[in-house]
Amino acid sequence: MASFLCGLDIGGTFTDCVLIDEHGQLTISKAPSTPGNFAEGVLEALKRAGERVGLALPQLLDSITMLNHGTTAGTNAIIQRKGARVGLITTRGHNDVIHIMRGSRGLSGQDIKLIVHIPESSKPDPIIPKRLIRGVSERVDCFGKVVVTLNEEEVRAAIQSLLDEGAEALAVCFLWSFLAPAHERRVKEIAAEMAPGLYVTCSHELAPKWGEYERTTAVALNAYIGPLTVGYLTDLDRRLKDLGYQPPLQITQCAGGTISVRKASDAPLLTLDSGPVSGVTGSLYLGQVMNEKNIITTDMGGTSFDVGVIHDSKAVVSYKSLVHQYEYFLPKVDVQTMGTGGGSKVWIDKTTGTLRVGPQSAGAVPGPICYSRGGTVPTTTDADVVLGYLDADNFAGGTMQLDRAGAAAALQVLADELGMSLYELASGVAQIAEFQMADLVRKATIQKGLDPRDFVLFAFGGAGPVHMAVTAREAGIKRVVVPQGDTASTWCAFGAASADTLHVNEQVSIMSSPFEVARINTLLGELAAKGRAQLEEDGIAPAQQRFLFSIDMRHRGQINEVEVELDGGTLKESDLDGLRARFVRRYEQLYGRGASLPGARLECVTFRVRASAESRKPRIKEAATTTREIPAGAQTGTRDIYWAEWKRLAPTPIYDGYRLQPGNTLEGPCVIETTTTSIVVHPGQTVSMDALKNFVIETGLTA
Amino acid sequence: MPRISEITDIDFDGVNHPYVPPKELRISPKLKLHRDWETEVDPVTYEVVRHNLWQINEEHGATIQRLSGSPVAMYALDLNPSLLTEDAEFVYFGPYMQYMSGVTDTQVKWTLEFRSDNPGIQEGDMFLANDPWVGAAHQQDVMLLCPVFWEGELFCWVTNCLHQYDIGGITPGSFCPSAESVYDEGIMLPPIKIIEKGEIRRDIEAVYLRASRKPQLVALDFRAQMAGNATARDRVLELIRRYGPRTVKGVMKKIIDNSEKAYLAKMARIPDGYWQDRTYIEACRPGDRRTHRVQLQLRKEGNKLLFSNDGSAGQEGAMNATYSGWRGAIMVAVTELLCWDQYFAVGGALRHVDFDPTPGTLNCANFPASVSTAPIQSMEISLYPAYNVLSKMIYPDAEMRRDIMCIGGTSQWPATLFRGTDQWGERYGYLLIDPIGGAIGAFAHGDGINTGGQSRTPICQLPNIEHTEQSFPILFLYRKELPDSGGAGKYRGGLSAESCFIPHNTDFITQDTLSSGNATPTSPGMMGGYPSTTNAYTFLRDTDIASRMQQSRMIEDTSEVSGKPELLQLRQENFIQNPADVYAVRWTGGGGFGDPFERDPVDIERDLEDLAITPAAALSIYGAVLNADARTVDRAATAKHRAAVRAARVARHQLPAVKREGSVLYAASVALEVKRDEQGTFWACGHCSTELGAVGGNYKDACILEEHPVSASNPLIGEPSDFIDDKVVFRQFCCPGCGVQIDNEIAVAHDPVLCDIAIKA
Repeated sequence: MASFLCGLDIGGTFTDCVLIDEHGQLTISKAPSTPGNFAEGVLEALKRAGERVGLALPQLLDSITMLNHGTTAGTNAIIQRKGARVGLITTRGHNDVIHIMRGSRGLSGQDIKLIVHIPESSKPDPIIPKRLIRGVSERVDCFGKVVVTLNEEEVRAAIQSLLDEGAEALAVCFLWSFLAPAHERRVKEIAAEMAPGLYVTCSHELAPKWGEYERTTAVALNAYIGPLTVGYLTDLDRRLKDLGYQPPLQITQCAGGTISVRKASDAPLLTLDSGPVSGVTGSLYLGQVMNEKNIITTDMGGTSFDVGVIHDSKAVVSYKSLVHQYEYFLPKVDVQTMGTGGGSKVWIDKTTGTLRVGPQSAGAVPGPICYSRGGTVPTTTDADVVLGYLDADNFAGGTMQLDRAGAAAALQVLADELGMSLYELASGVAQIAEFQMADLVRKATIQKGLDPRDFVLFAFGGAGPVHMAVTAREAGIKRVVVPQGDTASTWCAFGAASADTLHVNEQVSIMSSPFEVARINTLLGELAAKGRAQLEEDGIAPAQQRFLFSIDMRHRGQINEVEVELDGGTLKESDLDGLRARFVRRYEQLYGRGASLPGARLECVTFRVRASAESRKPRIKEAATTTREIPAGAQTGTRDIYWAEWKRLAPTPIYDGYRLQPGNTLEGPCVIETTTTSIVVHPGQTVSMDALKNFVIETGLTA
Repeated sequence: MPRISEITDIDFDGVNHPYVPPKELRISPKLKLHRDWETEVDPVTYEVVRHNLWQINEEHGATIQRLSGSPVAMYALDLNPSLLTEDAEFVYFGPYMQYMSGVTDTQVKWTLEFRSDNPGIQEGDMFLANDPWVGAAHQQDVMLLCPVFWEGELFCWVTNCLHQYDIGGITPGSFCPSAESVYDEGIMLPPIKIIEKGEIRRDIEAVYLRASRKPQLVALDFRAQMAGNATARDRVLELIRRYGPRTVKGVMKKIIDNSEKAYLAKMARIPDGYWQDRTYIEACRPGDRRTHRVQLQLRKEGNKLLFSNDGSAGQEGAMNATYSGWRGAIMVAVTELLCWDQYFAVGGALRHVDFDPTPGTLNCANFPASVSTAPIQSMEISLYPAYNVLSKMIYPDAEMRRDIMCIGGTSQWPATLFRGTDQWGERYGYLLIDPIGGAIGAFAHGDGINTGGQSRTPICQLPNIEHTEQSFPILFLYRKELPDSGGAGKYRGGLSAESCFIPHNTDFITQDTLSSGNATPTSPGMMGGYPSTTNAYTFLRDTDIASRMQQSRMIEDTSEVSGKPELLQLRQENFIQNPADVYAVRWTGGGGFGDPFERDPVDIERDLEDLAITPAAALSIYGAVLNADARTVDRAATAKHRAAVRAARVARHQLPAVKREGSVLYAASVALEVKRDEQGTFWACGHCSTELGAVGGNYKDACILEEHPVSASNPLIGEPSDFIDDKVVFRQFCCPGCGVQIDNEIAVAHDPVLCDIAIKA
């Protein structure tokens, strides 16, 4: 009997299912997403996949060895503001932590317009109103010493009054609880006595990190999305079990792996943004197959452009996340985003007479003018169709007619205003968008101390392959890979299928050099034991368990921390010099040579253990043979396309992406069309199909 | 005293008097400037290069932050990177500490004038500078200027400024509240070539670090500044190689030209006029109980804006700022209110803005006045009046009205300068950063932002309590937003907060205070809005906090502990805080906009729900009658009560009130119109058309004047006589016809009624 790996991803419109059999054969299915009760869409997608491999749903479930699922229940609760009514218990005197928001508007790194124009900005709506926050007497100091014991009477009164106010979930965060969690634990116990079944989340469990604002935000958000996520996952888990699925259902998480339903229920915050992260996971796997260690993954859709970075076969992570201006602590694969997409609006700054693209977007509705859904403002997609990058008569596999004339008319108005030709303007729009995206690619790498020139760029999303050849070239990247086959369109589900089980456990304990080896080893040992227990619970055999150890360190008196990886979980006295050397190396890699201060005292801040289990990986089949000969009929015709490099229209060959063969190489300019995208190859660039049927563009950079 | 423009016999060269750049810079012929640029850059290239230049400046700032890593750079964001043309016009200025704009171009211009001959300005050089008479805000704000050369010609400048922990002087941290002159303060360096041909001059670096109590940190910051400049310089050169020097320079010039165009378009929409504001600094040295008046005038004639400080008090003690500090403060408001849409490209506007203060005043001090406290005293107090005068200037235009911002929180900084031995056994000395949490004042279309930071640093962040407790031997009892701390108004100012702490894991802390705005509110409202709370120190000696901790009965207000209250003065030195002594510091909030009697009951109910105001203030300040639940507003009773209060004002004074119709030329403020009929142009009440005099005069003279103690304006304002000898009053100006409040002002009792808006007859 066949055995499958299965990945499931719920998108805004479709729920994707990917099955991978033991030979690496992919089977894809899609079903409409079913908001309100997403489990319906999930089961339907599974059912359709089963039909394709000739198995009824119960038989299919019986032959799936691992089912990884990305859920958006939490994200939706936040977007629609339909989360639970949460009560917060915190240290007396510190009720306002999440209202003060560290005296900021939570906009750093966000839209610069809101930063410079204060009257347009505001703080986000509070997740928990002040009247649902209770301070209780207790206190721990910076050494982790209890200086005020927990006042349990106050705790009981607080919980009761929150219940009276209708609280549906409880968040608990005390100052310094990551050093001394007993008080938070006790509150949880009391809550369990007083209100059995109440959803309770404590900061020392969810985010034992240094900084009460980001920790409180984490518990507040977690409690906010908790009940809904638990409801959804429990329901889906039960229905799958009823249908005969045996192994534990795994949920994809934002740190780039999967966790059990139980862990996802305790920490639903881990599931936020797991969709884009699965895309990075999928790229990581494809990168291994292609032997690419450094990858910039990009996803350009209608409204946004996402960038993730894989360096040395590891996804680049961040330890602070941001959702709706709320900052919180959780380890997460870093996916940076900006509002440039196919829907970015083109406009003229009237006062200065300059051409601008975005950041406002026409979104999916009304969308670009050429979609004929009521859009009246020209967008980058309209420029693409005017330039000829997109075929108005054969868009999305011929399923949609584009209104080129409408797009051209609207852009012509702008062109006249600026005294340019229509094509100059349209190609300017494309360039401005491409250069803006190149900036984000630069930022995502350079700010991590990485050089974009050392990377290949993966282009996903409907609009990505249209523009990435130029974006990559501008960022100094030599090669662009447009993943092909069906994997490209169901990328996140593919990523979910290839994800490993992963538990990231962290503990903050601030210690200054000279370090005590014994203390470090104790901390790492405890974290490893925690991870081991979690993996055991997931049913992972000891032989498959992997442990990675790291410490976040900094110069004493400074803020910036860098993550220093260790070889193992037990240090010897003689390793300490090496630890300092590793810190200096990593610090200078990030911040520049000579940036570190020799002889300065160092501090260890966060200790971290990543406990993981490698899951069985899909095997992607390579073509047995390659050929340089381009099949007759692969070229479907020519189209007049405007090329900025030549500043003129030129008849350009158009290819059918499905008829090209591995080994085929084409000179730019040309366009390769598939049902989901157009791959635009500029003059001076070449494109070829590799043995995995991916398209690989050489961007024309030599050095 | 004469203004700068009226003085002809003094050389404003940055030695004994402030440096005021001449229209034509005197640059040595040894230095070749790149003066050749493309005047017609196509729109696409323009947008691409423009975006790149903005990104370069961003990356410059990010580099400094990452490399410095100091709490100053990371939380207070007390830094700013800039990109300027070869002749020191701003191309871009970062969204960090906005003060630093005004101190940047002047220092580059001075360097061009006084360093281009000897020692010369060459490729690979960088200049270190922090002389407040040349152009620094105060000595701690150290600048590093980097000329960028292309083929032997000076192409442009990249510069940055970063506040230093300690550069010497009589007080750790280098804010010196008891200094009598610069000789008591940190090291002062007129621009000095510290990097030559790409190499650090070790001898000069040693001089720079020698005066500091924290030379290692200063050295690290210096490297961060160097790397920031180098990053920006290299990227500019990359851009030049890609697009050519003529194109890149053409874009730079066009960015400035465009920002000028945008500025001119705005000026064309606003009527000419004259606006004035007045505020006060308290205590210029330990023991001082006087107020020191600060006045600002703005005159708009066509495209020109002229700022002056007539009537401001003389320089004295340790509260002063120099010319560049004052100019920098005003430029914050110009940038944020007029140039935000050009991403702070203020260069174009500056072509039409003149600064003409009077030397010898507290905000245009001559050498050798003490200026180390400038950014938290004279500059801050010079900035916020600029928000007011500019807001009133743009009010007549309905679209620009959306850019109005009332004075925000921490309009004077209540500093707690502390020092001692920390829990790690090391010496420390710094100040509590908490007041950076500030508040944003009300807008003309909505409420301000509670603890929304200081508007002059749009992206600052307050350290977590756990961060501060790790660095210093203190234990916070609470940090909380305060109900009623925001100024009342039709739109409420943002709430501010209070932090309260005790020494912990140390025997004691030695403290200094340094504050102002504790007696006189420094965040007044606008156009009828009320002031926020004042700053306040609360100090309770020998409290029962230890036994409370023992019994697990913690506090969330100082009123809960027993102890002996001690009144701290605004420059109290060397007092000891023992572990039993509870110390709380409260900072000012945001000013309100428009008459609080106009606030919608729905908003008042939300304020009560969100604990933003107290039920008592709902009635006394907003005139809202609450139902028995103290959470909802009785609409009918409120309307009746508000009308009765207004009618009573009219009845009390019985001033002549004549309705005068005519066509409305524009609204000068919320309840004040400029009208015209056949007889001429006149002021009129916006509610009832009662005439308020001819436009040549002060409309306030025709209004009902009611004078109250200043404590009537905000429930959190205390007794001014605790700190100053002057009496402080809250003056309301109301329409003699309908009793509606048109504006109010806060003044020292012996100061005359202020003429805040004037237009030519």
